[in-house]
Amino acid sequence: MQAPLLHTLRGQHLWLSAQRSIFWEEQKALIVSDLHFGKTGHFRKSGIPVPQGIYKEDLQRLVNLLLYFKPGKLLVVGDFFHSHANMELDWFKKWRDDFSHLQIILIRGNHDILKSSWYREARIDVIENELELSPFIFTHERCGDHADLYTFCGHIHPGIYLQGLGKQALRLPCFYFGANHCILPAFSKFTGTALIAPEPKESVFAIVDNSLVQMQ
Amino acid sequence: MKLKSTPGYKVIIQWLSAKEYKPFTYQEEAWQHIIDGRSGLVNAPTGTGKTFSVFLGSLIQFINLHPGNYKTKSKNGLQLIWVTPLRALAKDIGRAMEEVIADLGMQWKVGIRNGDTSMAERQKQKRQMPEVLIITPESLHLLLGQKHHPEVFQTLKLFTVDEWHELIGSKRGVQVELALSRIIGCINAKNTPTAIWGISATIGNLSQAMEVLLFPLRLTGKNEENGVIVRAKLSKKIEIESILPDEIEKYPWAGHLGIKLADKVLPILNQSKTTLIFINTRGMSEMWYQTLLHIAPDLAGTIALHHGSIESELRTWVEEALHEGKLKAVVCTASLDLGVDFRPVETVIQVGSPKGVARFLQRAGRSGHSPDAVSKIYFLPTHSLELIEAAALKSAVEEQFIESREPLLLCYDVLVQYLCTLAVSDGFIPDIIWEEVKSTHCFSEITEEEWQEMLYFITVGGNALQQYDEYKKVEVIDGLYKITGRRIAMRHRLHIGTIVSDAMLKVKFLAGGYVGIIEESFISRLEPGDSFTLAGRQLELVMIKDMTVIVKKSNVKKSIVPSWMGGRLPLSASLGKVLREQFDIAGTSLEAPNHKMKVAIEITVLKPLLQLQATLSQVPKAAELLIEQIETRDGFHLFVYPFEGRLVHEAMAAVLAYRISKITPITFSIAMNDYGFELLSDQPIPVDDSNAYELFSLDNLMEDIQRSVNATEMAKRKFRDIAVIGGLIFQGYPGEHKKTRHLQASAGLLFNVFNEYDPNNVLIRQAFQEVFDQQMEEVRLREMLQRIQHSRIIITYPQRLTPFCFPIKVDSMRENLTSEKLADRVKRMQNQLNSL
Repeated sequence: MQAPLLHTLRGQHLWLSAQRSIFWEEQKALIVSDLHFGKTGHFRKSGIPVPQGIYKEDLQRLVNLLLYFKPGKLLVVGDFFHSHANMELDWFKKWRDDFSHLQIILIRGNHDILKSSWYREARIDVIENELELSPFIFTHERCGDHADLYTFCGHIHPGIYLQGLGKQALRLPCFYFGANHCILPAFSKFTGTALIAPEPKESVFAIVDNSLVQMQ
Repeated sequence: MKLKSTPGYKVIIQWLSAKEYKPFTYQEEAWQHIIDGRSGLVNAPTGTGKTFSVFLGSLIQFINLHPGNYKTKSKNGLQLIWVTPLRALAKDIGRAMEEVIADLGMQWKVGIRNGDTSMAERQKQKRQMPEVLIITPESLHLLLGQKHHPEVFQTLKLFTVDEWHELIGSKRGVQVELALSRIIGCINAKNTPTAIWGISATIGNLSQAMEVLLFPLRLTGKNEENGVIVRAKLSKKIEIESILPDEIEKYPWAGHLGIKLADKVLPILNQSKTTLIFINTRGMSEMWYQTLLHIAPDLAGTIALHHGSIESELRTWVEEALHEGKLKAVVCTASLDLGVDFRPVETVIQVGSPKGVARFLQRAGRSGHSPDAVSKIYFLPTHSLELIEAAALKSAVEEQFIESREPLLLCYDVLVQYLCTLAVSDGFIPDIIWEEVKSTHCFSEITEEEWQEMLYFITVGGNALQQYDEYKKVEVIDGLYKITGRRIAMRHRLHIGTIVSDAMLKVKFLAGGYVGIIEESFISRLEPGDSFTLAGRQLELVMIKDMTVIVKKSNVKKSIVPSWMGGRLPLSASLGKVLREQFDIAGTSLEAPNHKMKVAIEITVLKPLLQLQATLSQVPKAAELLIEQIETRDGFHLFVYPFEGRLVHEAMAAVLAYRISKITPITFSIAMNDYGFELLSDQPIPVDDSNAYELFSLDNLMEDIQRSVNATEMAKRKFRDIAVIGGLIFQGYPGEHKKTRHLQASAGLLFNVFNEYDPNNVLIRQAFQEVFDQQMEEVRLREMLQRIQHSRIIITYPQRLTPFCFPIKVDSMRENLTSEKLADRVKRMQNQLNSL
């Protein structure tokens, strides 16, 4: 694993990792977005045999990050779970018990449609629209900027398009830091990317296999 | 039984002579075989009574069996299945058949079954099957997905596949093979055996085409019996003429449109009653239609546009108007390749390369229908070099050098779909279906192990985390493989078929009124207020709502023309070969001005351009391979010209790029057309006389292909169709749209996931196999390399772009191949951008 990259923002220390997470040092919080847990199970239940290995790996990656950073809380910026409850989520619950001291906060995303009792049982605190933790604010889909808070959001699964000489081109998932908001890459590997077009002064970190490369 | 002495023959002959018709010899020949209970293939062009060669045979057979009461005997059950690739054909064929039945005073019913058939009609057919069922391959499978389907087929005498040449090389052909195996397999042994007849235009492998179709007959234990080929032997005269630019020097070196020659089309339109103008893509046909109206406004109302994205009512109107001779010209795409004849059509214009001899002949054959009439076809080049193709086509037609349509092998995606289709009917018992599936040509080589894998795939769903899995598709209940989930069954029925198209959206006017359909990928690039062209109309995008594009009329002069996928067919091997011969003639005639060769007019016209090519570089002759190395602002180019067609070039380019990248870490982008390919890099490409033959060597060919990353990229593209056919992707359907939203994943994403986490999956393996068999055309690649090994490799270093390389360079379809680490590449691309 490549050592996390330090990115300071509004006086806060953010550690970005190629495993698609941000560790916020001051708050001891691990921030992730768009995990889409249960997506393979949802497909399989409908007769589409997507291999479950990808879910297993997503889950293991999250565990590794928790063991590495030892955060006090896990902040999920929406789309934690893909659809209705299925057996794959039972596996998640079992895993949840192994990290009983971890506080999990979910800012509800459009995919998070499970019953509130389910979240209660899994001891996940669900926040409806946005969560303010000054100087930041967390929300799944960004709608407008705040005067003095910097927004963290997910939802679009950002990707960056890279062109070189000889008409070469690449498409990579990325972290995006604009003047007033950050878009997190989708944590789940069973997701596509939507291309973003960053302005010159904004920061973009592309995920290249197992390392991060600052693009601008 | 001698045909001419049978009662059925007498009835038919009487009817024919009342209409002042006489049967063709080949028709009588086919009838004789049909009443003898034999199977076979009729080889006849359209418009020569091929329908009657089989249909009347079926009537004769019936009358012979019931000479006393053939007129009154009704409700006989299904006698004849008539498979047709085109829905549009069904109606006309049905009408022709009904006319005969009515004239003879018989009680037979003709039923049509395709996507347009109403629920009520289907129900009626279920209660009482008509004697004749005209059906598409997809609807045939839907029929097999019905409960108690075997009962329907017990009375069947004749299974006919019309236009078999159109089906054989495709997955729809595989569908026909599988359906046949089930039908032959389920007919009770004591009933009269069913005969199989195919009807096909001329292709290079007619006898193989027949063998493939008749393969399932081995289920009846009659494998020794060979089928018969009945040939119409009605040859039609074809006249080919090129439309030549006045000044070849000023005609574009690259392009696909040819609109500059539009003026030259007008006199041709004036001379003939009706002209069909064939354009290779839908987008370009829209532009041609607009241009013709623009340069000849008086044509308004007498010319029309016809392609697959136009609303079907409008298309039907165009077809009827064609029949009635109301139209001066129709700008069309392959949408008018097949179908019934339009008698008023006297002339055909082919714009751009038809890519194959068979297609060119098929299109030429759409003109000149009266007996002894000459089919007249004009070739309009879209760029100057394409004129050589006209010369090649002429010589290929003269030599009757026509392509083969290779049958597909081991299409697991179609098999997965078929097994699920049987599972939604009454369910299936694997041992029985295994025997049937093995009796098809497509799956004759399937192993027991692969078969078990298929069953495992549809019941267990591949790799899973046992205790956390709820995979559900096909269940095994007392040895019966069955789909019980109502929703899964319904979704499966809606997805039966092997034609995969890009997601299409309906286009409607704000005020109401349907315009046509358009690809989602195109429309999603537009903003409201943008204008585009569809069905010859200028439209302005208002909004996209509920899978419908809402538009209003636009008066903007310049609008965007959608570029539909699918227009890029590769050059066939046959055409490639004659093309090389023409270049040989061209090269030789340039070098020896006093030669005595027969030089086609097209080559004479092209002389200034060929002269320039010879000055800057060289014109390669038959036993030569030309390589050009050119440096431009874009980087270092390497152009190679094997004239083998786009697909082989793509594979060859990948192999060559890989082999060069073994010499030094280097990244290429690759471009190709039908004449050659290009490797473009940001560093000099190390190819010279010392290593050229080695780079084109046959050694380790397969290994090198597999190692070139393009195989993965190409497989990814192939996987799209496979994923849809194999049931991994739902294309969404009305009403269910919202419910299935959580089941959407792009084919590219699914490919990545399967390729990484379940690489042995049958569908992934198939994607790679299709790349090697169809995309790479390994056999052709080998032959090409063998040829190159015996050729002289000429490397030139032109100071500027040559007429040969120009069309390739401006082509924008590009692939990448690299031997560098991803991270290194990213860094270097960044540095390059920063230093710009």
